[in-house]
Amino acid sequence: MKRLLVVLTLVIFLAVPVAQVFASGAGEASTGEVVLTFPTFWVGQDSKSGPIASLVEKFNNENAGEIRVLIEPNPDTDGYRDKLNAQLASGRAPDIFVFNPDPTSFQYYDSDILMDFTDELAGAWGDDFVRSYIDESTIGGRTKTVPYEIGITPIWYNMNLLNQVGYSEPPATWDDFMAMADALKAAGVVPTSQMTGGSNAWTSMLWYSHIIGSLGGPNVWDKPLTDPVYVEAAEYLLQLYTDGNTTRDAVGGDAGVSGGHFLAGDTAAFINGPWYIGRIRGDAPAIHAATRLAAAPQVGDYSGHQIGFLLSNLAAANTSDPRKRAAVITFMKFMTDPENVTSVSKAAGSLFAIKYELGGDIDPLQQEFVRAASDSTFAIGHFQSQYPVAVVQEFGQALGAMALGEATPEEFVEMLIAANR
Amino acid sequence: MIVQSGSNRLGIILFLTPVILLFAVYFVYPLGFVFVTSTLDWNGVSTPEFIGLRNFIDNFQNHTFQKSIRNNFIWLFALGFGQITLAAGVAMILARRPRGWRFLRTAYFLPNVISQVAIAMMWKALYNAEYGALNQFLEIIGLSGWTHNWLGEIGTALPAVLIQQVFYIGYFMIIILASTMSIPESFYEAAQIDGANVFQQERYITLPMLVPILVTSTTLAMAYGLRHFEATFLLTDGGPANSTSVMGIQLYKMLKSIDYGHANATGATLVILGIIVIVVIRSTFGRAVNAGEAEQ
Repeated sequence: MKRLLVVLTLVIFLAVPVAQVFASGAGEASTGEVVLTFPTFWVGQDSKSGPIASLVEKFNNENAGEIRVLIEPNPDTDGYRDKLNAQLASGRAPDIFVFNPDPTSFQYYDSDILMDFTDELAGAWGDDFVRSYIDESTIGGRTKTVPYEIGITPIWYNMNLLNQVGYSEPPATWDDFMAMADALKAAGVVPTSQMTGGSNAWTSMLWYSHIIGSLGGPNVWDKPLTDPVYVEAAEYLLQLYTDGNTTRDAVGGDAGVSGGHFLAGDTAAFINGPWYIGRIRGDAPAIHAATRLAAAPQVGDYSGHQIGFLLSNLAAANTSDPRKRAAVITFMKFMTDPENVTSVSKAAGSLFAIKYELGGDIDPLQQEFVRAASDSTFAIGHFQSQYPVAVVQEFGQALGAMALGEATPEEFVEMLIAANR
Repeated sequence: MIVQSGSNRLGIILFLTPVILLFAVYFVYPLGFVFVTSTLDWNGVSTPEFIGLRNFIDNFQNHTFQKSIRNNFIWLFALGFGQITLAAGVAMILARRPRGWRFLRTAYFLPNVISQVAIAMMWKALYNAEYGALNQFLEIIGLSGWTHNWLGEIGTALPAVLIQQVFYIGYFMIIILASTMSIPESFYEAAQIDGANVFQQERYITLPMLVPILVTSTTLAMAYGLRHFEATFLLTDGGPANSTSVMGIQLYKMLKSIDYGHANATGATLVILGIIVIVVIRSTFGRAVNAGEAEQ
């Protein structure tokens, strides 16, 4: 009898997880005021925290008694995404959330967990958006997230440091860039900020993307990882890690190290997006005033391009409740309203996938971003946007191995290929 | 023999039920979930497909995973032997109540009440190649050739992370110190009369009396080594070139890739290795424990 009880208990505890894995979600209904939870990392020190909070407050006032959106603060971006993944995997998506538009997250399109905005975006609402961003957010004909924040990541130059070594313009070609690097080193300045750490080796990953774009052109991401362009780009990237072209702590360094050196005036070149404007303006006003943006130096046949990508989409939990669905769509339309987007863009420095006019009264560095975007010959996404998280995570490790002489550029790419299997 | 009446049995069941339920919900169920999903090809939203041991085979064929297991065992031995040896040594010194021993006891334990994140950030700054205090100190004393990018070089990263962890001996030091101070003074007085010096007293009285607590501490430290994650994640994220990666880091990265099958196979491997390690420790040191208990 005792043995039977033990066996039954074990069977029950093993059966429950199996049932949960294979189970599907159920519908729900709402009455009265619709309350939508909105967990987000646009809080705390994030440059969009204030503008987004103001927008949500405005929305709640305009829809008092009908819809109320509650922001759930989650200031740690990585933690937010981990938590979100766990929620999505357990079939319990938040009402509204910030979706990371990368190949790994797009796997959730295969499920019914995300609300589908295809029909709404095909109508007048879709006209508010830059069409290509809707296309990027559409898979298999379905648009299950709303394109929102975008980024371009030109090269940031500290012109004070460049002027010191006789450069009044950012270098146009790779040879010019390396000559400038030599001049800077002779003057005791480290040419570039780099990093292999963090979840994606962000700064160096962007350099790699720029170099690949210059070598392979607008359709370079159509090429598989086995294409020689990836090895050739790695050879150029390696140059930035050798001969003192970056700081000594670049291998293992994270975004704080990479950005910190530029903010401190230690390095002359850096890469990041417009969301960093608020940070540099607040923490290093002198560097902010001296910063000029430019396209990456030409390496191959192509030049003048930018790395442009969807940074964050808005998403919502699928629901069978028509009132809740209507409330979500009302909120999404409000968030992407050109007037509201303009106010966030001006306050935070961020750029958006919506058609809007910034006007002239904006931060000079943001004007530089707008100019860099409009001057670009073409735009491609970055490496991270093209490959699953496993490959992106391996990028920093493989780069570290290459920078330390433990791997050749060929082996660097082989490590990426192995992670892609 | 104790005979239990019916009311006693009911009482026992009532008192035990909440604990058993909590244990089942928070331990047995998640464990079952991990083992079940470790045999599935599943990303959380796709239809799960049973693939047997494929995830385990994939993991063990992966070079980074192999490196991670090796590093886990380095952690296991470093904590199990290095940290416990240090903790026991300090505890034995403090048990002799030298001047300022109370302050030292508190000082050694203090890092255990500070957030691991705060400690890791401090060490990260200390080790930094450009502005870190360690390199600056080496330069001041004329050893600039010894400076390194401590967390960014393959030869120094793992030792750097290990050292910052191994020296936090406070937790085990307190446990061993409590045990040391419970040894009757009369034992030492008798040994002194017999002419035993301090080292002989420690060797022939303290150490044998401490064997059970040392075995328990070693078991706990080795278990911490096997499941190690925080310090490596915060200091190196497994880098450079995966040289400091451990299974916990691999599991975390697999979860970030929403690759739940491989992640849970890693989790299951950790559980199985943990059981094996504990069984080996208990069986290896079992006789020593019994001998130590017999001496007490």
